[in-house]
Amino acid sequence: MNQRLSTAVPYLIAVVILVALPLVLQSYYLSVATMILIFGLFAMSLNVIFGHTGLNSLGHAAFFGTAGYVTGIAIVTYGVKSFWTSAPLGILGAAVTAAIFGIIALRVSGVYFLLVTFALGQLLWTVAEKWNSVTMGRSGFVGIPAPDLGLSFLDLESPVGFYYFVFVVFSVCYYLMARLHRSPFGYALQGIRERESRMRALGYNVWLYKYIAYIVAAVFAGMGGILYAHFNGSIAPSHVGFSTSALGMLMVILGGAGVLWGPVLGAALIILLQGFASLLVPARWPLILGALFVIGVMGFRGGIGLHMVKTVRRVFSRGSNQG
Amino acid sequence: MEAIRVEGLYKSFGGVVATSNVSFKVDVGGRLVIIGPNGAGKSTLFNLLNGQLPLDSGKVFLFGEDVTHLPLHKRAHRGMARSFQLTSLFPELTVMDNMMLALHGLRKSRFNPFRRTGSYSTLRDKGKDLLSLFDLWSKRDEQIKMISYGEQRKLEIALCLASNPRLLLLDEPSAGLTTSERQVVMEMIRNLPPDIAVIIVDHDMDLVFGLANRIIVLHFGQIIAEGTPEEIQAHPKVKEVYMGIEEGNGNA
Repeated sequence: MNQRLSTAVPYLIAVVILVALPLVLQSYYLSVATMILIFGLFAMSLNVIFGHTGLNSLGHAAFFGTAGYVTGIAIVTYGVKSFWTSAPLGILGAAVTAAIFGIIALRVSGVYFLLVTFALGQLLWTVAEKWNSVTMGRSGFVGIPAPDLGLSFLDLESPVGFYYFVFVVFSVCYYLMARLHRSPFGYALQGIRERESRMRALGYNVWLYKYIAYIVAAVFAGMGGILYAHFNGSIAPSHVGFSTSALGMLMVILGGAGVLWGPVLGAALIILLQGFASLLVPARWPLILGALFVIGVMGFRGGIGLHMVKTVRRVFSRGSNQG
Repeated sequence: MEAIRVEGLYKSFGGVVATSNVSFKVDVGGRLVIIGPNGAGKSTLFNLLNGQLPLDSGKVFLFGEDVTHLPLHKRAHRGMARSFQLTSLFPELTVMDNMMLALHGLRKSRFNPFRRTGSYSTLRDKGKDLLSLFDLWSKRDEQIKMISYGEQRKLEIALCLASNPRLLLLDEPSAGLTTSERQVVMEMIRNLPPDIAVIIVDHDMDLVFGLANRIIVLHFGQIIAEGTPEEIQAHPKVKEVYMGIEEGNGNA
C-alpha cells in the first residue's frame, strides 16, 4: 500500500499541475506546453523500441510525419470532417508504414538497424518533398483545421481547449504505454534487449516481438503526429525525416530511456530551451542543442530522469529504516 | 519412448570441423552425460541440439518429430529447455522478473500487453516454489548483477525448470559452484521427474558418474566412446584422451 502510494503521489501532482497550467499560463506558453506533451508522446513512443527493446531507430519520425500527412490529406484534400475518421486513417498510415519498414529494417540489428531506419526515413522525406500534387511539396502541407470531435461544447480552436484535448490524448497514451511496460509483453521486450538468445531458448519468438513493438511504437508516434498536424495547422517534410527523428532520440537520451517519463522530461527540456533560444538567440539554437546534448551525455549518463529518481530515493531512504 | 535422436550431425566453422558424424539417442527418463576435453565440441553440440546454430548436415528428432529446421523458440515449445555455460540471464532485471519471463515463455500470456506481469498468481506461486528450491526467494527483488556468481548459476538452472521441460539440456551446471552448491544442484537433478530426459555437459566427475546412466565421450567433435558409466571407465581410448588428463579423478 505504502509503495503504491509513493508511486501514485508524483503522478497525482503531475496531473494537477498539467490540469492547472491553462489557469496560469499565457497562450504562448500554453502552446509551448502543448508542444511538450505532443513531443513527449513522440519521444515515449520511440522509447518503446529504443529504450525497452534496444532497437536504435533513427527513422522514427517517419511514422510521426506519415500520420500527420495522412490525416491532413484526408481532411483537406478528401474532406473527411470527423476526427474519429481522420485520426484512425492517420494511425493506419503510420502502422502500415511500420509494417513495411519493419520487414526491411528488422533483418539487421545494431548500428545497421540505425542506418536502415535512417535511410527509410529519408526515403519518405524525399517523397514528402517531391510529390507536389499530394503533399504540397517542400513548403509543407497546410490548412489543417482544428480536430472536429463532433462535440459542440468543446472549442478546440482555442489554445486552452486544444491543450486539454492534447492532455487527454497524451494521458491515455501514457497510461497504455505504462501498462505495456509492466506487462508480460513489455518484459519480453526488455528481455530481448538484454539477452536475445536466452529469450529464444525460453520460447519467445524474438523477431515477432520486435516487429509488433515496432508497429506499436509507430502507432503512438502517429498519434503524436496527428496532434501536431492539428496543432500547427501544417506538416512539413522535415517532420518525416532525419531532423525530427534525431530530435526524438535526443529527447529520449537526455531525459532517460530507463525511466518511463524520462522521454517526456527530455522533450520538456529541449522544447523549453528551444523556445527561449528562439526568443533570445535564434541563430544559435543548434549550437545550444549540441552543447546540451554533450553535457547531458557526459554529466547525466542514463538520462536526467534517472538521476532525479536516484536523488529522490537517496533523500527519502535517509529518513526511513531501509537505510 | 525416445526423447531426442540425432543422426549424423556435422558442423564446421570455416573448415575447422567442430562436430562430425555425431549420432545418438536419449530415451524418456534417460540421463546422458557428455564429457570430453576442452575444445571437444560439447557446447557446439548443445547449440546444434537446441537450434542456436544451423546444422551443415544431419537430422534432429524431438519426441519422434523432425525438428531439424525448427527455430529455437519452437523447439522450446516442444519441451526442450537449455541452460547456458556462460550465465545467460537478464542482468538489469530482478531475480523474480527473470523467473516471470521464463514462466510466461511457453504460455499465451506472454503476448499480453496490458496485465501486470506479476499479477498472474499461479505463475507467481510457481516462481516462488522454484526460487525457494534453489534458496533464491530471499533475493527475488535483487537485480541479477547484484547477486553472486553461484546464485546466478542456480537461477540459470531454475529458469530451465520453469517451463516444465520434457528434455533438459544442462551446459556445465556445476561450473563455478562451491562444493555445497554443487550438492544442491546434483540433488535437484537427481530429483527431476523420471519422465524428463536430461543431457548434461560437465567436467565434475562426481556429478558425471553420480547422475549418468549413459555417457558419451567427445574428442575433436567426434564420439569416441559411448556406454554405461562402468563401460566408459574401463574404456582404453577414454583413459588415453580424457582420464589421463584428470589423473586419479576418474573414480567415482
